[in-house]
Amino acid sequence: MKIKQQEPASLQQQTTPLIDVTFQLLTFFMFTLKIVGPEGDFNINMPPPGAGAAKSEVLPDIKVRLVAAADGGLASLRLGERQLGNGPGAFQTLNNEILKLIGRENSARSKEIEVEIDADYQLNFDFVVKAIGACTGRMSPDGKTIIRYVEKIKFAPPKQNPDA
Amino acid sequence: MKFKSPPMPSAEMDMTPMMDLTFQLISFFMMVTNFDQTQVDERVRLPTDALAKPPEMKIEHELVVNIGFKRAKDGSRLDPLPFVFLPGEELRVPDYKQRLLQEARIYQAKSVKLADVTIVVRADADVPTGQVQEFIKLSQDAKFEKFALRAQQPTE
Repeated sequence: MKIKQQEPASLQQQTTPLIDVTFQLLTFFMFTLKIVGPEGDFNINMPPPGAGAAKSEVLPDIKVRLVAAADGGLASLRLGERQLGNGPGAFQTLNNEILKLIGRENSARSKEIEVEIDADYQLNFDFVVKAIGACTGRMSPDGKTIIRYVEKIKFAPPKQNPDA
Repeated sequence: MKFKSPPMPSAEMDMTPMMDLTFQLISFFMMVTNFDQTQVDERVRLPTDALAKPPEMKIEHELVVNIGFKRAKDGSRLDPLPFVFLPGEELRVPDYKQRLLQEARIYQAKSVKLADVTIVVRADADVPTGQVQEFIKLSQDAKFEKFALRAQQPTE
């Protein structure tokens, strides 16, 4: 009698659930992906109004004034009483002047000296950040580290909204 | 005479190359996904500055606030005043005060000192500075003390 041999059971693993899970994961990561450029922070010194009262008699060391144009652009940038203009070079001049005031990079004065940013209500925030950047310092030639000029930066009390 | 029929070719597809490719894609997305940036709102166009380098140490307690404009597809503003963008809703800056007080209560319930909490302000480059200062004033009223203004590095 001829005995028919049973076909061997398939040794191949069932991959369908694995593929299902893999595609689920792929879909999740594709939908949650946000392409965002590198972001950094500028820390500002804003003590609560009560704590600031004791220091109000002491004038800030450096005062940077930003005057707004009607469209929110920069009309003029001043360091103390000195006009620095309103063009792209104004912030570079501010950066150079701050360095002159502190003496040299990373000096002891850079930790003590304080800059007060006094900006008009309507001024675009972009110019304030540029002014903070110019006061903070500059990048090292290799572009990796920040050479600090001033560490303490604060805002002047907010101005009234001219449109209110 | 008995003829032996040739074995049928397998109808099953070879999934190995597809699985390889899929795992490569998953690895890529896992590498580039940053879960820290879940609080980032794409509608905010941050100001740019070369000094805006990502911090070396992570802020332990941070509250990220996105302030920006509702814009049309061409980039023009739909509303002249900015909004605070929250998941699923938008508030005017003065209306955010209640949320700030609520956040302050939550931190206090977790025994976190408000002086240790940093409010990260992600404000649009075109937002009037006065609105940002108003927001900071509201935060100070809610007893927050530390602030960080977020900016983006310029693209080459």
